[in-house]
Amino acid sequence: MPMGHTATAEAGSEGLTVKEHRLDNGLRVVLSEDHLTPVAAVCLWYDVGSRHEVEGRTGLAHLFEHLMFQGSKQVSGNGHFELVQGAGGSLNGTTSWERTNYFETMPAHQLELALWLEADRMGSLLFALDQKNLDNQRDVVKNERRQRYDNVPYGTAFERIFRLAYPEGHPYRHTPIGSMEDLEAASLEDARQFFRTYYAPNNAVLSIVGDIDPEQTLAWVEKYFGSIPSYDGKPQPRDGGLPDVIGEQHREVVEEKVPARALMAAYRLPEDGTRACDAADLALAILGGGESSRLYNRLVRRDRTAVTAGFGLLRLAGSPSLAWMDVKTSGDVEVPVIEAAVDEELARFAEEGPTAEEMERAHAQLEREWLDRLGTVAGRADELCRFAVLFGDPKLALTAVDRVLDVTAEEVQEVAKARLRPDNRAVLVYEPVDDDADDAADDEAESAATDADATTDENEESAK
Amino acid sequence: MTELATMDFHPQPQAGEARPWAFPAPERGTLDNGLTVLRCHRPGQQVVAVEVLLDAPLDAEPAGLDGVATIMTRAFSEGTDKHSAEEFAAELERCGATLDSHADHPGVRLSLEVPVSRLGKALGLLADALRAPAFADSEIERLVANRLDEIPHETANPGRRAAKELSKQLFPADSRMSRPRQGTEETVASIDSAAVRAFYERHVRPATATAVIVGDLTGVDLDALLGDTLGAWTGSPAKPRTMPAVSADDTGRVVIVDRPGAVQTQLLIGRVGVDRHDRVWPAQVLGTYCLGGTLTSRLDRVLREEKGYTYGVRAFGQVLRSAPDGSGVSMLAISGSVDTPNTGPALDDLWTVLRTLAAGGLTDAERDVAVQNLVGVAPLKFETAAAVASTLADQVEQHLPDDYQSTLYRQLAATGTVEATAAVVSAFPVDRLVTVLVGDAAQIEEPVRALGIGEVTVVPAE
Repeated sequence: MPMGHTATAEAGSEGLTVKEHRLDNGLRVVLSEDHLTPVAAVCLWYDVGSRHEVEGRTGLAHLFEHLMFQGSKQVSGNGHFELVQGAGGSLNGTTSWERTNYFETMPAHQLELALWLEADRMGSLLFALDQKNLDNQRDVVKNERRQRYDNVPYGTAFERIFRLAYPEGHPYRHTPIGSMEDLEAASLEDARQFFRTYYAPNNAVLSIVGDIDPEQTLAWVEKYFGSIPSYDGKPQPRDGGLPDVIGEQHREVVEEKVPARALMAAYRLPEDGTRACDAADLALAILGGGESSRLYNRLVRRDRTAVTAGFGLLRLAGSPSLAWMDVKTSGDVEVPVIEAAVDEELARFAEEGPTAEEMERAHAQLEREWLDRLGTVAGRADELCRFAVLFGDPKLALTAVDRVLDVTAEEVQEVAKARLRPDNRAVLVYEPVDDDADDAADDEAESAATDADATTDENEESAK
Repeated sequence: MTELATMDFHPQPQAGEARPWAFPAPERGTLDNGLTVLRCHRPGQQVVAVEVLLDAPLDAEPAGLDGVATIMTRAFSEGTDKHSAEEFAAELERCGATLDSHADHPGVRLSLEVPVSRLGKALGLLADALRAPAFADSEIERLVANRLDEIPHETANPGRRAAKELSKQLFPADSRMSRPRQGTEETVASIDSAAVRAFYERHVRPATATAVIVGDLTGVDLDALLGDTLGAWTGSPAKPRTMPAVSADDTGRVVIVDRPGAVQTQLLIGRVGVDRHDRVWPAQVLGTYCLGGTLTSRLDRVLREEKGYTYGVRAFGQVLRSAPDGSGVSMLAISGSVDTPNTGPALDDLWTVLRTLAAGGLTDAERDVAVQNLVGVAPLKFETAAAVASTLADQVEQHLPDDYQSTLYRQLAATGTVEATAAVVSAFPVDRLVTVLVGDAAQIEEPVRALGIGEVTVVPAE
């Protein structure tokens, strides 16, 4: 059987190697051996996310991800979960703006089962998909939405800030969870069409990492996935390109029953995959990562005006990335006091740049994060898929940390100066209201607010 | 059906031959200062995990000072005899390290993770924190104020609020377990640097502490590193501690914590059970998994996958505190969120699941899948140094032998369906469960009352 093209490269850190292959139907396969522990991770990224959704159908990509766990031709009902867990494996799927991923981590001798399961649903989901599954998972997803967004303080902050940071009609303006109305409106035909359009082998990357025999593994992949037909009708996603800066400050004040005032902001940053995005990552680590950052030292330690203060980075490849700042105020401190201090710190940073010691700390922190991410077979499999889908080359995952370490203080200062400015941000302010506020507000307040802890997870919805 | 694309179908593959894996056995030793050290080499794990356990349990906190263990624990990373608070945080981050710590019923726990290349420096900082914490007045004041600011956030979080209420309901008011681990507004406000230092001097010393170190230690002279760092920490010997007896009231009843306008009801249904020293533990782990360990367990099969009432409901057993004599306790609980209008029907179904389980028992197939999962996931679950270190530290904290986890896997594999059924049915008896519901009382009180699962009371959220 013709097995397409295979390339091997010695790639980067710790002697890890990556083998790439493409089946005739277009499925890209990435293999990486690691025999330290008898486990194997399977990760499948489909190049579809909430940015591909159309108006009136927000949340469809994520709802669909749930439907992928409801059986296929040879797998009944919850069989996917049952078989993987019964084999001693763990599994899940998540949906973000730019991709949907599915993953199983298996004891190495159960690897073939995971491949068989993934192939069965890629090739035959529509045999099992029915109205009953759709209605049930629609209810589950609505409860997921309530649990993670609507029923917790600040839970809808992320959604609100995306609506402020991206213009009307932009593909990244809505978050993957979608709206209640759109979830309600999703039909069986929508789900079927979504599957036909996006769940084809030539729109996916499959990575397999761990205690594997590459030849045997590739033979299994060919056997199970090789006959699934490709599909050429996938529409181009809407263009996510935007000017470098927003150009003016967008602002929303939310009056809700929350425990404290909050100042949140999103800044528009360079796209993922660029050197400038890595520089921004370092800038945000210095300004708002951990307990030695500038904002933490200023607001929590010195001024004592905040209970928490930090920055996070949401990397996006098809649209500008976002810096996400979250400050919860202490006691009765008013938001303008916090805002003035934040502006002062950002302006000072843009003016002076980072110190050598700050650069050393930020490099060390981001290096450890990469070691953590690549320290498990599942983490490595996910990163290989990420770089293959978003940037065309999985091997870039193994050198990502070197690129971050290569960024200079001047580049960090440059991106801060260009991007962390008041005219390049969307601001969300929370002002608490009393219990006794008019009941009529409750309908609106169905979309209250976030858990500070959950910020890093908020770009992903998960099936489990 | 039309338009179904074709592919070649193959039968479900059979498993290959399982490759051997065993939970790692640590090497145990004692430093000259009395510090117990467990070390474990894990090839390839470049981020080393260090756990330090201090014998400073919450019940050792002086009356009226609930939260002092928490403030002390946080203050460990707020300056030493060598570094100010800001410098200490900066030095840790310069190592690429993270240091998390918390105070709980069994004691205080510090968790350090650091790339192996900077292990020595990070151990030095950790040792400084334990040996010579600054406990500066202004830093303690800040930590107290910060802690007070956190409390309203916890009260507003349905999961946190439910946990607080269940502890209050289960344990008598004079038991430390009935009260919030990190203190209340009133007790935290009374904490100052003198109180923190007094607690430290009384309860923190190397002779009653344990350090667990796990990671790729190739080429690391750990004895030398320890000698210069944690080995240089000195302190007096101490008498062994006894654990106060724990009693609990699990009379079946319902407490609604009123949260007007809530779109979901947070459920936390629990009681108190035995700890890992009890022979029933493996069977209870197995039975509890079958009841609510995952999306395909009994609870979610109905509540999520059939009815769509929830994103997921889980049953679990969590050890609160152990003693060598087996007098320890755990929390047995079922937790999850259901939408407000379906709160009554969801609870009704939940009780039906429990009654059906008690009446008909588990099936052999359920038991088999549970064993295969619980035992089979071990190599995945313990891939990282942090996971291994955390489990070894749990074992020490719960007075279990270092090979406990391996023994547990053998016991799980040897546990039958009948034993698992008996264990889970007696762990979750329908008339001995305290049900806490954080939700909109105006909407859920009547339907819940109608279920007859116990007396219903309503309390305010704040």
